[in-house]
Amino acid sequence: MSNVLETTHLSKRYGRQWALQDCTLALPAGRVAALVGPNGAGKTTLLHLSVGLLEPTTGSVQVFGCSPLKQTTQTLPRLGFVAQDHPLYKDFTVADLLTLGRKLNPRWDDTLAKARMQKLGIPLDRPAGKLSGGQQAQVGLVLALAKRPDLLLLDEPLAQLDPLARREFLRTLMDAEAESGLTVLLSSHIIGDLERVCDYLIILSASYVQLAGDIQEIGRTHKRLVGPRQEVDAIASVHTVIETSQTERQTTLLVRTNGPLFDPSWEVQEVSLEDIVLAYLSHQATERLLSSQSTQKQHGMEVVQ
Amino acid sequence: MIWVAWRQQRTASFVVLGVLVLSGIFLLVTGLNMTHDFQQSGLSDCLAHTTKPLDVCGPLGTLFVNHYSSLIPFAAALMILPILLGAMVGAPLVAREFEQRTTLLVWMQSITRTRWLSVKVVLVLGTGLLAGGVLMVLLTWWFSPFSQLIGSFNPVAFDFSGPVLIAATLLALALGIFAGTLTRRTVFAIFLTLALILAIRLPVEFVLRPNYEPQITVTWPLAQSDNPPITLGMQDWSVGQGYIDAQGNKTNSITCSGTNVGQLTPQQCMQASGYRSNYLSYQPADRFWTFQWIETGIYLAISALAIGATFWLVRRRLV
Repeated sequence: MSNVLETTHLSKRYGRQWALQDCTLALPAGRVAALVGPNGAGKTTLLHLSVGLLEPTTGSVQVFGCSPLKQTTQTLPRLGFVAQDHPLYKDFTVADLLTLGRKLNPRWDDTLAKARMQKLGIPLDRPAGKLSGGQQAQVGLVLALAKRPDLLLLDEPLAQLDPLARREFLRTLMDAEAESGLTVLLSSHIIGDLERVCDYLIILSASYVQLAGDIQEIGRTHKRLVGPRQEVDAIASVHTVIETSQTERQTTLLVRTNGPLFDPSWEVQEVSLEDIVLAYLSHQATERLLSSQSTQKQHGMEVVQ
Repeated sequence: MIWVAWRQQRTASFVVLGVLVLSGIFLLVTGLNMTHDFQQSGLSDCLAHTTKPLDVCGPLGTLFVNHYSSLIPFAAALMILPILLGAMVGAPLVAREFEQRTTLLVWMQSITRTRWLSVKVVLVLGTGLLAGGVLMVLLTWWFSPFSQLIGSFNPVAFDFSGPVLIAATLLALALGIFAGTLTRRTVFAIFLTLALILAIRLPVEFVLRPNYEPQITVTWPLAQSDNPPITLGMQDWSVGQGYIDAQGNKTNSITCSGTNVGQLTPQQCMQASGYRSNYLSYQPADRFWTFQWIETGIYLAISALAIGATFWLVRRRLV
């Protein structure tokens, strides 16, 4: 089985508000994937659906080929999850939390948990509520890692951490990933910190998946085109234009190439991952992609008719 | 999970234990004093050898009641403990986990949500069972001298003189757990728990309890005195006394109509308005245990419903 996580037309609605729509994606085993999108894009919803904390409105989600909602005995022992703001029992000491992990998980690795705490310099006898934010995040991560999960999901793990704590958190994560080869999916509203650790990228915006794929592949296929001011229709008929900016004299495009670029009037530039993400998240791009999706749907309907 | 649930409830359990010990000390000290007096004064012997306690042992009994009855409200105040247990231990059980978002931690361990909830609920209800049992034994023992003088089949003593006390404790906890799961907010849940307990217990005690079995009603003519022709035993429960009006309804107020009302005695007035007779309604002493078990059954049934609804909520309503 190559895909650890698969979703098919997955949607979730709260009342009249769609939190996630028509999300189809597959996360191959062994990847460290970044789930990137602005606040309210549906990242938490997608993660909660993936671990069985939510029930889909429509569509389906499978983890290790099982339903995370119905087949919890198969999925729960193999899933690690660190929720946003890494909730802990604040009055439990760190040792108590490790006992909790030991009592509730058949695959629990107590040696690993204790070793990590020692390495991080987190005292076992201190109540979790008295630890610093960074230490609490680390404890949350170690609790998830010591379950020996095959898939680890982290919801905004870096949001509340200062730069030093971020680096230490990611180091712990990378150590574990190197040791066990687990699959990781972590959400963030920024890409900066994740670029070094992730090899897979999922961009979620306005409750839709805008892009999902290998990071190197994404870097290879996305280009910035700069040329004299001109219409973009010709290029848009072959490649996908993500972002357009026009000045009086020149036109700058960010495109996803769907093949070689021949037109010599364009100067082709490399573009950073952060710029790609920002382009996808910008309002303009989102609207364009959404409208193209809806026109595709309309075309589909016409064909059926 | 048992360890986790115990670790979470540890502090609350010690507080409950502490309150129980303090209550126990109060009941033991006053109770021993009272029992000693009860036996030394000869009241105990007197009551053992007569069927008409008030007539024969009257002075001794009056003396005892005058001396000690001021303690009864203190003992009865302990009946608030089961309600507090429901609000302070039951309500936060699930609500606090939602509030502090620790459900997102514990539901992601390798146990099902149902097992998580079962262990927590069983532990708390077990604590309630013990606390209610201890309180019942202590209060029944403490009240036993009064029980021989004024009986246990009355609205105050009935509440703690049998399994009803244990059932009421379980009810309070079950309603608390349910309210906490429904609202997911501790403070809100505490108030909802109190409201639910009152909304169930008050109608049960004041409307249902007097009618678990049809009341026995004795009537006698208005012309005679207000004193009934029969004497109720100490253990009988006198539910109501008054008049049967022209429509045949029981009432204890006299409403006179007519022109020269002011000149009539109440009796003349009642006869003029068509009142039929005096009445006395009561529940005989031998129904005490039937009533205890009926009320226990009612409370346990509602508790079971509340717990069932809690499981349904936790399984169905996610995050």
